[in-house]
Amino acid sequence: MAEGGDVEWELSKENIQPLRRGRDISALHQALSQQQDGLSSAIIQQRQAFESELRMYDGDDPLDVWDQYIKWTEQTFPQGGKESNLTTLLERAVTRFTEGNKYHEDPRYVELWIKFAENCPEPLDTYRYMQAQGIGVTQASLYIAWSEEHENQGNCRKADLVYQEGFKKCAEPHDKLLQFHKALQARVSRQVMMIVENDNSDDEPKQLERNSLAELKRRGKKKAIAPINRVGSSIRSISGGLQSIGAPVLGNASNSRLVVFDENRTQIAGPSEPTLESWAAPPTSRAKENEQNPEKWSDVKIPQKSKFGHAVMAPPPPKPTFQPFVEESDQLPTMTPCKINPAVNTVLSARKPCREETPLKRLQEHHQQQKEAESGKLQEQSMYCKELLLSGAAEFCIEELRAERYFKKVTQEDGGQKDAASASP
Amino acid sequence: MTSTLKGITLKGSAELVAEFFSFGINSILYQRGIYPPETFTRVTHYDMTLQLTTDPKLKNYLTNVVSQLKEWLFECTVQKFVLVITCLETNEVLERWQFDIECDKSAKEISAPREKSIKTIQDEIRSVIRQVTATVTFLPLLETPCAFDLLVYTDKDLMVPDKWEESGPQIIDQSEEVRLRSFTTSIHKVNSMVAYKRTDSA
Repeated sequence: MAEGGDVEWELSKENIQPLRRGRDISALHQALSQQQDGLSSAIIQQRQAFESELRMYDGDDPLDVWDQYIKWTEQTFPQGGKESNLTTLLERAVTRFTEGNKYHEDPRYVELWIKFAENCPEPLDTYRYMQAQGIGVTQASLYIAWSEEHENQGNCRKADLVYQEGFKKCAEPHDKLLQFHKALQARVSRQVMMIVENDNSDDEPKQLERNSLAELKRRGKKKAIAPINRVGSSIRSISGGLQSIGAPVLGNASNSRLVVFDENRTQIAGPSEPTLESWAAPPTSRAKENEQNPEKWSDVKIPQKSKFGHAVMAPPPPKPTFQPFVEESDQLPTMTPCKINPAVNTVLSARKPCREETPLKRLQEHHQQQKEAESGKLQEQSMYCKELLLSGAAEFCIEELRAERYFKKVTQEDGGQKDAASASP
Repeated sequence: MTSTLKGITLKGSAELVAEFFSFGINSILYQRGIYPPETFTRVTHYDMTLQLTTDPKLKNYLTNVVSQLKEWLFECTVQKFVLVITCLETNEVLERWQFDIECDKSAKEISAPREKSIKTIQDEIRSVIRQVTATVTFLPLLETPCAFDLLVYTDKDLMVPDKWEESGPQIIDQSEEVRLRSFTTSIHKVNSMVAYKRTDSA
């Protein structure tokens, strides 16, 4: 190994989450060197200080404390995870300021929302929620993050639409939005170019063709209906007639060409703008498992499992095309003979997406509860300062709060100022 | 390169170091997304997979720079080699990759090869490039389109060749600096370092 340089970060590079704003290298070194022996007391103290600051702050910019706390957490816990409590923290911060429009267009608050969305399983829902609630609708960063999420999911068209929406709302800074939009267009056009180039390599003119010699997959659950694949002029004739079949008929997706997005045309076509959902109530709890609608029992059939168990494992990938580097000094480990046929091993199955309770849903429920409270429907009323005790990422007890106020008072009195504020919460 | 595997001469050393810069620059340009990833192709060198640009203009430019650099390395007149990444629109310097080069000038008089096998040197180079790749873990995301520039610090009395021009150091103010590994051919020693804009957090 070559000498020089602090190599701590390199040894644990896989455990460092990259940050958009980069990392403070000294904080990183500190965090990594303290990693072995759990949370150091300095970190715990700092966290406690932030927690009590959250509760005791009485200036006119409470978001600032949250912002600093979250930034500190990001830098101090490079690998993220449960210990950092970042997700909870973001959720609390975001929920804390939903009512009242004070921060809705504050770049810091929007930034927190975007971080929160990135931690959600469904970021797009969160962005839509933000739009509906009017959070950050004039901030370019919302549209950029939103569009990037669409692009990551491979939907460049929607990514573009998001920018159009941003332009319509005159999001600021306008330059930034324009620049990211241009970059998106450049990326998309490059992709299209590459595809076109690849297409040109095989000279056959690609026209829509009917699938021949392919299996016809049936549609519909009760009645088997063969899909209708039509090509060229015959497609149009369908739409004229009366359609009695419920299933969608245009099934040409398999051999359609890539559609180049033309923004001018869609503008003429008109109603392409995203519909605003009201989000007043949380969506129906489709997330719950094992909930069945009432139906006639005599018709129900238990789905049969296939012959070979649940799922068919993918075949092992072919040998890599590159040569993995092996140190010369390395000895090949002696191979133990593998007796288990990987094809029948069902121990490792893909994790089913857990949709029980997403952060966004909790947020909506919170929102809902508040509305109910306003309209006087809420039956409970807590007779202690519940908000203060639970407001941070950690829970405080009443005595802690009381002590905090007491110490504050003591220091103030030491400073020569008599303060008559009562210490009881 | 030297015919024997055991020793290294000044010429061989200059060639090795120049080669390192060629691969190093390509790696940085790829890792930092200065050029679109589709314009790079994979090659295997130093027993690792590296990305090389396929853009003809860039390739040509880099070949020119590296061959000039090789000459200077051979004359032992280079002190520093710097790759600067600037924002295309504001011209603000965002990142600065600095390679300090220490030349052992006595190698010019004594032509006997030094004892250090190419393999050990390449091992060292490999770990430098690996570390360059690993820096993405802490470097800030470059969100704007960027350009890059190459600076060479030479001894004072050197003639500036055509197509090169004098330039300022292009230092980032308020920067965070991270030293990376170094390697030595026993004639040239290269210390690497990256500087980037400090985050404004406390």
